Amino acid sequence: MLELSNIQKRFGGVTALADGNLHVRAGEVHLLLGENGAGKSTLMKIVAGMQERDGGRMLWQGREVFLKQPADAAAIGVAMVHQESLLAPHLSVAENIFLGREDRLPFGWVNRRRTFERARRLIEQHGFPLQAEWRVGKLSPAGKQLVEICRAIQHGSSLLIFDEPTSSLSESETGEVFRIVRSLRDRNMGVIYITHRLQELRAVGDRVTIFRDGRTVHSAPLEELTTHQIIHHMVGREVEALYTREAVKPGAELLRVEGLSRAGKLRDVSFSLCAGEIVGLGGLVGAGRTELCRAIFGVDPVDSGTVSVEGRKAEIHSAGEGVAAGIALVTEDRQKTGLALRLSIAHNITMANLKAVSRLGVLDLKAESEAATQSIARLRIKAASGEQLALRLSGGNQQKVVIAKWLFRRARVFLFDEPTRGIDVGAKAEVFAVMDELARNGAAILMVSSELPELLQVPDRILVMRQGRITGELPKGASQEQVMRLAALDTEHRENIQ
Amino acid sequence: MMQRLLPFLSLTILFVALAIASPYFLTNTNLSSVVRQTAVINIMALGMTMIIIAGGIDLSVGAILAMGGLLGTMAMEKGAPIPAGIAIGIFVGLACGFVNGFLTTKLGIAPFIVTLGTLGIIRGLTLIISNGLPVHRIPQPFSFLGGGTVLGVPFVLWILVACAALTHFTLEHTRLGRYAFAIGSNADAAVYAGIPVAFHTTAVYAIGGMLTGLAGMIEASRLMTGQPTAGQGYELQAIAAVVIGGGSLHGGEGSVVGTLIGAFIMGLLSNGSDLLGVSPYLQQAIIGAVIILAVTLDEIRKRRVA
Repeated sequence: MLELSNIQKRFGGVTALADGNLHVRAGEVHLLLGENGAGKSTLMKIVAGMQERDGGRMLWQGREVFLKQPADAAAIGVAMVHQESLLAPHLSVAENIFLGREDRLPFGWVNRRRTFERARRLIEQHGFPLQAEWRVGKLSPAGKQLVEICRAIQHGSSLLIFDEPTSSLSESETGEVFRIVRSLRDRNMGVIYITHRLQELRAVGDRVTIFRDGRTVHSAPLEELTTHQIIHHMVGREVEALYTREAVKPGAELLRVEGLSRAGKLRDVSFSLCAGEIVGLGGLVGAGRTELCRAIFGVDPVDSGTVSVEGRKAEIHSAGEGVAAGIALVTEDRQKTGLALRLSIAHNITMANLKAVSRLGVLDLKAESEAATQSIARLRIKAASGEQLALRLSGGNQQKVVIAKWLFRRARVFLFDEPTRGIDVGAKAEVFAVMDELARNGAAILMVSSELPELLQVPDRILVMRQGRITGELPKGASQEQVMRLAALDTEHRENIQ
Repeated sequence: MMQRLLPFLSLTILFVALAIASPYFLTNTNLSSVVRQTAVINIMALGMTMIIIAGGIDLSVGAILAMGGLLGTMAMEKGAPIPAGIAIGIFVGLACGFVNGFLTTKLGIAPFIVTLGTLGIIRGLTLIISNGLPVHRIPQPFSFLGGGTVLGVPFVLWILVACAALTHFTLEHTRLGRYAFAIGSNADAAVYAGIPVAFHTTAVYAIGGMLTGLAGMIEASRLMTGQPTAGQGYELQAIAAVVIGGGSLHGGEGSVVGTLIGAFIMGLLSNGSDLLGVSPYLQQAIIGAVIILAVTLDEIRKRRVA
């Protein structure tokens, strides 16, 4: 029913999709697999009319179509079930299902009775555990998902797209969603299903299409592929040399985390970092890596567990206490939480340690600007002067300013959350060089990364998280498949395929 | 550079235009009256500059001015010495500012709402305390504060210069000032850098309140009355002065020099309207239009930068 060939999409200078191919038949559940950023979601947005393609052909029932907006997709019978609910929480289930398509009476009145009747019939037909009168705001995430599904099918859609429908659901709710997906397939509808959870595949899928770096790399019936082969297709790229770091002999233990837990986010996390070490932290989006960094640094509360810095137990309940303990958090989103963009580079660098350049609350502006100039030279930040606004720097140089801020604070434990996000390739190597230098000068570094090549090349060893736990540790030189297995499969499945 | 030059150019043009249009404009009496009129707004606007730089806003300054002036003059009426009365007025302002800062940071409510609420509370309390009646029996020498002259220059101008110098020093040369810029520019980044954000935000509101309390005493001295209804609509003028002077309502930007220029532009607009016989009703409309114009220019500049 749907045939996509050689679909391309660029955002500015970034190619999100270089060669997207997909062939979906009526009456099948078609799985889309791939790492974060492989291009699956972009392709689905094009199918759902949320984005226009730059090139390639899209055939629907054998005819070429151009979709400019979601309404165009809805008109031909394609609907997307969104990951995050786009529902009106204060309205009832029935009103949400028919939102914008109510039964109209003259003068703008709405026929409420008929709307509710139609909703009741629809719910009954599919055996959904819902009531038309319920308020959507009070439903569980699974319930909301069902309302989204109702909304999609009541409009007569023949192709439904699910974007990671089970990421926020419990196990029994997941089973419920699978049952519904299969019943839709049995009504001869087409279903496209994006997922990151590899063990789900066999419970629900018929065919698999695998994406890597914006291209379709493989497509086949599910029973023809082993899980091992699937992982190989997902990650099996040529690994380009990014940065080679000479091994360092680890020094004294600087950070020890024991039994850190937070309901729904972290489960009994323990590990340690030594001076001179860069330790990688891998895992899929939502595995709890960012949450772990935030908990150690003190911006998120924890339910239990301890953090010790340089052998002493640290009581950290706020970012201020995290900073005081010598911990630095280089956040994922440096524009939002790392830099004051409209202040100068110099002011950003000294921000976390103004006490070092002031006496009795009065700043020594000369000492401050000298300190900033030194940092700029040491980290090779490309800027006209310390007076320049942080706003005007490139991503790589902005990242260096954040690092300079923590260097000036004399932090010894660095938590880097996706340190190369939004930075171009040349600047990445420079950021790694700075991290390497930090470690050589006695810092302990935790590096969260979703990019397997850098995760495998830069750190001395790699921890992998999945669903709030650390599922394993790998030495330098581990393979992409090993990381992927720890990140995407539960213990039972891992043993089965080994 | 434009955002610094434009207000200054406007002020110069306004000054020259008024000098040509009205023969009375350049007289000593008129100019010193402009200074006296502007000083009250100006001193309030200095505090507002710090608050706006820290990403906040204070709508309650008019009410704080009235309460400070009233309680200060009431103390004098009851026999307190003049310096003590002035100190009480200033302290009342400080306390009100502290409450504003405390509520904003501890309750996490937008300062626009908090100070809209305290505007009502403070004004209401002032009317209750005074029974709605002004205080008149004030020792005569108190008039020196708002009406006196030192070395041929109005005393309020000396006070204004001193306050402006201190505010400038605080903003540009102290940790508190730098934190105000950091918090206003990106509060999240300030928290992640370990800056005690709540403490410094509260301090900024308290200093703003303190300056407003002083302005309240000057206003009371000029009128030789403790007026419970004083200062209505002054918040608009104080905010306008900051914004016309290049302060950004998004926080992180603003300067003392800019605010001084902004306040004098508004002072000249009102003085010029008086001299040229423009209706006071129209004056209000003109000030409103100037505010919108200044903010629009600021937004256009922002969009070009971002």
